[in-house]
Amino acid sequence: MEYALEATGLCKEYPGFTLRDVSFALPRGYIMGLIGPNGAGKTTVVKLILNIVRRTAGRIKVFGLDNLAAETEVKSRIGFVLDEMPFYGYLKVDAIASVIAPYYKTWDSGRFEGLCREFELPRRKRVNALSRGMKMKLALAVALSHGAELILMDEPTSGLDPVFRRELLERLSGLIQDGRTSILFSTHLTSDLERVADYITCLREGELVFSTTRDEILEKWALVKGGPDLLDAATGGLFRGVRRGPYGVTALTSDKEEALRRLAGRDAVVERLRLDDLVFFLAHEGSPGREARYE
Amino acid sequence: MLKILRLEFLFSRRQLVITLSIFSAYFSYMATQIRSPRVFIVLTSVMIGVAMPFLVLAREDKFKTASLICSLPVRRSTVVLGKYTATWGATVLGLGCALLLMAVFPFSKIPVGEVLTVKSLLITLFLISLIFAVILPFTIRFGLVGVIVLLVGSQVLGILALLITHMLRGAKDPLRVFFLPFQKGLKALFYHETTPGYLLTLLTLIIAFSAASLFISRVLYARREL
Repeated sequence: MEYALEATGLCKEYPGFTLRDVSFALPRGYIMGLIGPNGAGKTTVVKLILNIVRRTAGRIKVFGLDNLAAETEVKSRIGFVLDEMPFYGYLKVDAIASVIAPYYKTWDSGRFEGLCREFELPRRKRVNALSRGMKMKLALAVALSHGAELILMDEPTSGLDPVFRRELLERLSGLIQDGRTSILFSTHLTSDLERVADYITCLREGELVFSTTRDEILEKWALVKGGPDLLDAATGGLFRGVRRGPYGVTALTSDKEEALRRLAGRDAVVERLRLDDLVFFLAHEGSPGREARYE
Repeated sequence: MLKILRLEFLFSRRQLVITLSIFSAYFSYMATQIRSPRVFIVLTSVMIGVAMPFLVLAREDKFKTASLICSLPVRRSTVVLGKYTATWGATVLGLGCALLLMAVFPFSKIPVGEVLTVKSLLITLFLISLIFAVILPFTIRFGLVGVIVLLVGSQVLGILALLITHMLRGAKDPLRVFFLPFQKGLKALFYHETTPGYLLTLLTLIIAFSAASLFISRVLYARREL
């Protein structure tokens, strides 16, 4: 299989935060969602791919090329949307395009103009005067105007209204239809990923929890709901996260088949998982002190 | 690199116009007050040497645009080279402005003939390259805050040096003791006989300081986390 992006043993140390041994691979022509609670390391991973922070260890390959050794070539094939897009505030939208365009041989001015019209971007307005949502649209227009083969997006849907969010997700799905464009998409809004992502990579506190296909997650992981007696010797080791409430217990399992087998005949329900449940429970996985609270 | 230069120009043009306007007013006033070409050269060099790095580099710091530029397909070393070229470009504009005013301003008291010599111009560029050699790597690595820390730190060290000098020697004018090496250095520069060897040495030193500063800045910028 041909990969657009391969991260192997990625490590980055900051004071108070360490990204440890993160590995994942994104095949060409697919969308990967990068999920995890705040401080999981999602933005760090995106920054490491762009080499705007230096990795402590590990290796990143983009289209089979090392992202450091072939930095310029790799970046010319990447489109990016950063969480806080640092545009030159005094410049107008058109001027932003004119200073960025010369860096890309494949820049398509007509496409940029078309995207500006489609996104209703005021091209004569200074970037400083744009709202956060509009700045995000500008970043998207820039990222999509040079035929990038890998698009990196760090929280691209934050600040966007639900209508445009939906349209953007449809556009992203459309982009990968050519089989050569791939997208890595970090977000808190996991419902967005349920619509478009083919692969999900989950991080927590700088560590990789899993990186696999969305279908496999939905097939293997599940929510189990039952009475207060759900947590007993028979279910020991089955759950990755537990939420206790006054009327019962909700738990996350990464082995749906095993859960169904062990809970057969008991008063418990095994339900389909949503990605936001997954992030919520994994954020509280571990010691009882970190158990999810039931409101 | 031309792409970086264009970007820097577009981004800094407004500040450049404002700075050059302030400089014009300042140099016009100074030209009416100063008779010594040597004092004019030193003052001009210090003004331009400190102001131009701020003009070009502080904008990036203010808008945090380094992560944008470093995400584009361009080497960081090229980015630094672009910044140096832009700073020197702004410096040449500033110098041109100062020299023009000194020459054509009707109330100017400075003897133009003594300033517009190869020796004077090389001394000016030498002094500016000395200031750039310190300030540019600092600004590139630590940003505007770094330069402010550097300048304030230098002042604190200066005050400490004055105090120590005063306490140890009981000198009446410790400021003189502190600035004596600078004074001697400047005198040596200005009063040295103008020989081809001397001019060549000055030119070599300008290139050497600039090259060393550029090398250090490139290393620092490559290590910068954005």
